[in-house]
Amino acid sequence: MKFTLHIWRQENARAKGHFETYEIDNISADCSFLEMLDQLNEKLINDHIAHPVCFDNDCREGICGMCGLYINGRPHGNDDGVTTCQLHMRHFNDGDEIWVEPWRAKAFPIIKDLVVDRTAFDKIIQAGGYISATTGGVPDANNILVPKHIADQAMDAAACIGCGACVAACKNASAMLFVGAKVSHLNLLPQGHPEAMDRVKKMVCKMDELGFGSCTNTYACEAECPKQIKRQNIARLNRQWIGQLFGRDRNE
Amino acid sequence: MNLPKIHSITKKLFVALVGSFLLLFLLFHMTANLFILRHDDGQWYSDFCHFMGTNWVVKIFEIVLLGVIALHILLTVWLAITNRLARPVRYHQASRSKTHPGSKLMMWTGVLIFACICIHFYDFYFVKVGVVKGEYMVKVENLSKLDAQAMEDEAVSDVLYRAFNEGNISEDGKWIRHINYEERTILKERAPESDPEPDFYYLTREKFSHLHIVIGYLVFFLILFFHLMHAFPSVFQTLGLNNYKYNPIIEALGKIYTWIIVLGFTAVPILVYLGL
Repeated sequence: MKFTLHIWRQENARAKGHFETYEIDNISADCSFLEMLDQLNEKLINDHIAHPVCFDNDCREGICGMCGLYINGRPHGNDDGVTTCQLHMRHFNDGDEIWVEPWRAKAFPIIKDLVVDRTAFDKIIQAGGYISATTGGVPDANNILVPKHIADQAMDAAACIGCGACVAACKNASAMLFVGAKVSHLNLLPQGHPEAMDRVKKMVCKMDELGFGSCTNTYACEAECPKQIKRQNIARLNRQWIGQLFGRDRNE
Repeated sequence: MNLPKIHSITKKLFVALVGSFLLLFLLFHMTANLFILRHDDGQWYSDFCHFMGTNWVVKIFEIVLLGVIALHILLTVWLAITNRLARPVRYHQASRSKTHPGSKLMMWTGVLIFACICIHFYDFYFVKVGVVKGEYMVKVENLSKLDAQAMEDEAVSDVLYRAFNEGNISEDGKWIRHINYEERTILKERAPESDPEPDFYYLTREKFSHLHIVIGYLVFFLILFFHLMHAFPSVFQTLGLNNYKYNPIIEALGKIYTWIIVLGFTAVPILVYLGL
């Protein structure tokens, strides 16, 4: 397959970026988007065309949350429920023009080319996305009783890999789906209950402080989340935010 | 001076609360508008408008409503500015994420709705306030309250004589209709007990006899349709009343509510224009 790539190139956070156009040929339909970029980089190096394109990646199996590219107007490209590393070139047509951009948000400054600094997510987690008490070793099965539907919801929320696609997709660069998922997976479980309201307050305050936008219920985040985290986690976050405003200590 | 920090979710909560107030008000407004369709020479509608114009609870409600609209606009503009700042560099490629079209256009549909509300205020509220000229009416029973000086006033007599002479009395005999702005000024100044008030029934029917106004009204409700389709479920989501179980019910209720509002409001200009 042959593609025309328009890739965002930016030397560093302060430099002015621009799109650079590259032609690439002999791409297998079965190779992933990142493998296609690897081949482009080999070509750029071997033919002395330019410095290789910088992009984040790690596990390349959709679980680490490192990769994240805005491809043709969609975070992680034109397939649902996958990360960029799981996006295959068979989802494109031969001869397609592909526009590749980094996540764009004030809270995610560009480091270089397509690599953005997602430390903001770590700061939100550091603000309250943990259980401060030592929980000890793995408890015996059924030692702490958790209803099945609650366990399922907590597990679904815990699937968030913190890739930032929700922020990238949101027209307001809001991190509500991320915070909602992190709050849900802890607050739904008994171990998370004692600090639930405090956690909500701290994480939301940190989110605001870092310059993320507000949720306007567009649900582009839900549509683009590679782990298909649901909007109900945002509703739960809103509910618990109201709870902490009135000093309630309820998690449901 | 340090202003208190209002967190993003709290701002959204206020938007949702005032938004839900406006959703309820729309339902009330639509029900009142349907009175126009009664073939009773505006008896119900005129009585309703008289009640709305004279009751002190309604007057307080009017101030609250204006405050709520202002707050809704202020908060959404504030949110829009902070949201814009959250992404200083925009994407080159427009978003292709699958979302409801209404949800992405809320700010723009909101701006258009605000413009239409301004026209609505010009046509009706400003007529009531007396800033804009309109058509007025006087309650027949108010004439008995006029003092001797007012009754002997030549200008007042001329106004009343013309009205009776031309037979501008409503079918139920309660109202003297078709009093113009100049006549209303005379009555206000020389016979204030007559208490002339805007004839909204006539004003509405007259406006909806023009095709361009009917089309403009329908376009407005098309815009409002998209706004409400997103607004109704959004209120529940922001107030945290949405979950896996209730979400489909809320979505369905939102669609039913929106269709009721749009069909209820648009039925009036269409049927009035067609003379039905």
